[in-house]
Amino acid sequence: MQNKTTFIVAGLLLVAAVIYLIVSSTGSTAQFFVTVAELQAMGEEAMQRNITVSGAVLGETIVYDALAPRVIFTVVNVPADTKEIEQRGGLAQVLHDAVEDPNGPRLVVVYDSVKPDLLQNEAQAIVRGKMGADGRFYADELLLKCPSRYEEEVPAQAGD
Amino acid sequence: MVGEIGTLLIGLSLAVALYAAFAAWRGIQLSIVPASTAQGKTCGLNTLLQSAQNATYALAALLGAALLMLLLAFLTDHFEISYVAQHSSTVIPVYLKISAVWAGQEGSLLLWCFLQALFAALATGNASERARPLVPWATVFLSLITAFFVAVTLFLSQPFTLLPRPPLDGRGLNPLLRHPGMIFHPPALYVGYVGLAIPFAFAMAALITRQIKEWTAAIRTWTLVAWLGLGLGLLLGMRWAYDVLGWGGYWGWDPVENAGLLPWFTATALLHGAVMQEEKRGFHVWNMLMVTFSFVLVLFGTFATRSGMIQSVHAYAVSDLGGYFLSAIAVTLAGALILLYSRRAVLKTSSSTAESLLSRDGMFFVTLALFTALTVSVLVGSLLPTLTEALAGQRFEAGPAWFDRVTGPQFAVLVLVIGLCPLLGRGVAALKRLRQLRWVVIGGAVVVPVIAALVGFTGGISLIGFAISGFAGAATLAEFVDGVVTRRKRTKEAPLNALWHLLRLQRRKYGGYLVHLGVILMALGIIGTRMYPFEAQTTVSVGEATTVGDYTLIFEELKSDFVADYSTTWANVSVYRGSTYLTTLQPRLNRYTGTKQTITVPAMHPDFREDLYLILSGWTSDGTIATFKVVVNALVNFLWLGGLIFLAGGALALWPRMENRTWNAVALIVGLVLLFGAGWAMWGIPHGSVSYGGGRPLVGQSAPDFRLSLLDGETVSLASLRGQVTVVNFWATWCPSCVEEMPDLQAAWEAYSNRNVTFLGVAYQDDAATVRDAMAEYGTTYAVGLDTGDRIAEQYGITGIPETFIVGPDGRVAYVHVGPITAAALSAQLDVLLK
Repeated sequence: MQNKTTFIVAGLLLVAAVIYLIVSSTGSTAQFFVTVAELQAMGEEAMQRNITVSGAVLGETIVYDALAPRVIFTVVNVPADTKEIEQRGGLAQVLHDAVEDPNGPRLVVVYDSVKPDLLQNEAQAIVRGKMGADGRFYADELLLKCPSRYEEEVPAQAGD
Repeated sequence: MVGEIGTLLIGLSLAVALYAAFAAWRGIQLSIVPASTAQGKTCGLNTLLQSAQNATYALAALLGAALLMLLLAFLTDHFEISYVAQHSSTVIPVYLKISAVWAGQEGSLLLWCFLQALFAALATGNASERARPLVPWATVFLSLITAFFVAVTLFLSQPFTLLPRPPLDGRGLNPLLRHPGMIFHPPALYVGYVGLAIPFAFAMAALITRQIKEWTAAIRTWTLVAWLGLGLGLLLGMRWAYDVLGWGGYWGWDPVENAGLLPWFTATALLHGAVMQEEKRGFHVWNMLMVTFSFVLVLFGTFATRSGMIQSVHAYAVSDLGGYFLSAIAVTLAGALILLYSRRAVLKTSSSTAESLLSRDGMFFVTLALFTALTVSVLVGSLLPTLTEALAGQRFEAGPAWFDRVTGPQFAVLVLVIGLCPLLGRGVAALKRLRQLRWVVIGGAVVVPVIAALVGFTGGISLIGFAISGFAGAATLAEFVDGVVTRRKRTKEAPLNALWHLLRLQRRKYGGYLVHLGVILMALGIIGTRMYPFEAQTTVSVGEATTVGDYTLIFEELKSDFVADYSTTWANVSVYRGSTYLTTLQPRLNRYTGTKQTITVPAMHPDFREDLYLILSGWTSDGTIATFKVVVNALVNFLWLGGLIFLAGGALALWPRMENRTWNAVALIVGLVLLFGAGWAMWGIPHGSVSYGGGRPLVGQSAPDFRLSLLDGETVSLASLRGQVTVVNFWATWCPSCVEEMPDLQAAWEAYSNRNVTFLGVAYQDDAATVRDAMAEYGTTYAVGLDTGDRIAEQYGITGIPETFIVGPDGRVAYVHVGPITAAALSAQLDVLLK
């Protein structure tokens, strides 16, 4: 009987340790995930914490200084809710619409690193970093997704 | 035609899969008849079950044929098929056309279906005598699972969809996927995914028929196959990321990576639980849960990576598969758990017999608990945005730092358990071996961190990690030594011979320990790369030296060329540690003309302690200034080496008991060739590293001596010019920028000829007559000689000309210039030296 107790105590200790690790890490290293519109609504608070923001890349705004190296580009607000994305015709359509929309909330992103291969018009950019006092977003990390562009573009055939 | 046949084959497969499930189910029903009528029905029952078995074979054959049709379509450029047009083109090599078959969702799902059907046919057809009673129900479940995937392929993700107007050429394969690892990475992972369906189907069959003992016999091999496939797939994926993605890392805790890791965790737990179950030491409930979670996690991974629910860098199209997979997950999970609950009485009769936590059984319990904890942790991390939104209304996201922090301590405890396990016997003998081996394991726990500290890894937490690894490594190695010693006492064999027989005769035991050794080595690599990250960016002009960490890098030149469907630009960068020349690295950037994609190709210099990993980021249009990203990955080669040992151990444990000696030998040779091939691919081929002789001597080093035969017939040696300032200019008449600098050199020579200065022109890969003509044309009056056989150029690490060295009176290099030099620059240097 005593042994069974040891096992239960060991199991409970493990559960407690894992819960502690998850909760404390979420407090210290997890990042706030927002849309461009939500980020702009945050105001001052946005400058104090680690934030992940996602948006559609505006192709013509990409400026790359290969020597710094530094990429500056603008992203347009896209909704974060998967259901809403589905309703609007899928991620590719939402990204396309965002780039075409002149009134969508925009955010200038500064990324001090090499320009990634996938950074192009209508790509979905997921950037992690902090808001700067100058209203630009300073990214430490940049993830890019081109959901369907590559697959859709089959070259036009001859005589078409 | 190919397209129509392919579609037809997939359609037929769906019908056959459904028939197999129905026939097996009906066969089972007919077999449960009152004893009085059994005689008459047995015939019918056997025919139906036999028919179901035949249908599973037919299913595998049909899907195999469909996959072959797709392969054929790729090999013969059938661009009227949309999938082929999207992922292939006429110019890509054959091996890439093969890997393009599973480069996209449609093809990969077809491969999945085929493997699922093949494994189902093998598992039900070759079931051992004891597992045979479970086969009918397992056939029902496996056929339904295959039918689900075939239906998804047929109705939602058809690989044979035709284009109304076929293009002349395809889009070509995504450049990111053009890596040999990509041929094997997806199939290996799918072997893992579909393999996990087998123990699951047999588990459900065992629960329904209440034959838990029979289940034990059926699961181990297939769990091992699946587990090894997942492990291989994950390792190949890591290496692919390291070689191709050009960010310097190998694991980013990306949701798609996690989707492969999660079922691997539960499969590992299941593998350990299965050992306990085989030894009749309980663990039934654990194993049932693990096998269910493994299969559900496979479905979840497929769902998560294709539904767009989780943000990921893996470029799978967001598709409408999500809903169907979510329903499948819900049905599977609910069905399995209800079934499990209803059979709790059967499972409980065989509950755990573990006496104490500090025993072998206790450690297996801890292992299973740890893997469960890891699974939950990674799952929570992957779902954190969704979870926090539901709980707190705010979306939080888990980055690599979150995962490292949460899983790091758990992995550390896991390695500790790997070390403890062999030290603990069963029951009362528990602590005896620990007492025997205490000095060995304490030694390991001390020596490894001391060595690590001596080579510069002095961080406190990492030293704890090294100590745990050292402890576990010593304990595991002691098992091998012990086995050899015991065997030699009996057989008097040579040590290596004894080890060979040990590995051959106790494959499962020593295969398992080899896997543990691999994991311990990988732990060293993970500690090194995660706790000592080094990354820097540097912008340099041609010929300029820059110091990054322990390395001195000299940017020599920028070159470019056109290859097949892309243009490539690369930089030659000489790498020195201190003043010792190591190698010349050639990081590249390829631009694909068709897709307008750019791909960075990193160059690396692997070393026991660390990899120097260099990426070309950008350059000015005239090519004189370039930016590099420099990453130093500490101990990363322990990770790759550990991975190889891990795979070798897994293969050893899986090795079938074959009677035929020839086949055994052939299989052994194939296995060894594959392992050495993988090793060669990682360390044998250069990875953008080229060696040029001894490299260029740096400023301050003594200039290599040489004898130069001058055009006027005399010979001059550099040593004889000691005490003078010597200007050594490497040039050629065929090199425009060399000819361009000739007047400047002559002007400088005329200005300094009455001082303590000698000019030597070294003509590189040239002939005497043209050199004489050029000298006459430009009025060159300083001494010029031919560098026969490029001997001198080699001594000076010349990769291109012109290059100019100024050697001081002390015989040391005082100045190096790459590219055409001006009279002004020469005067400035000479004035300083002659002062």
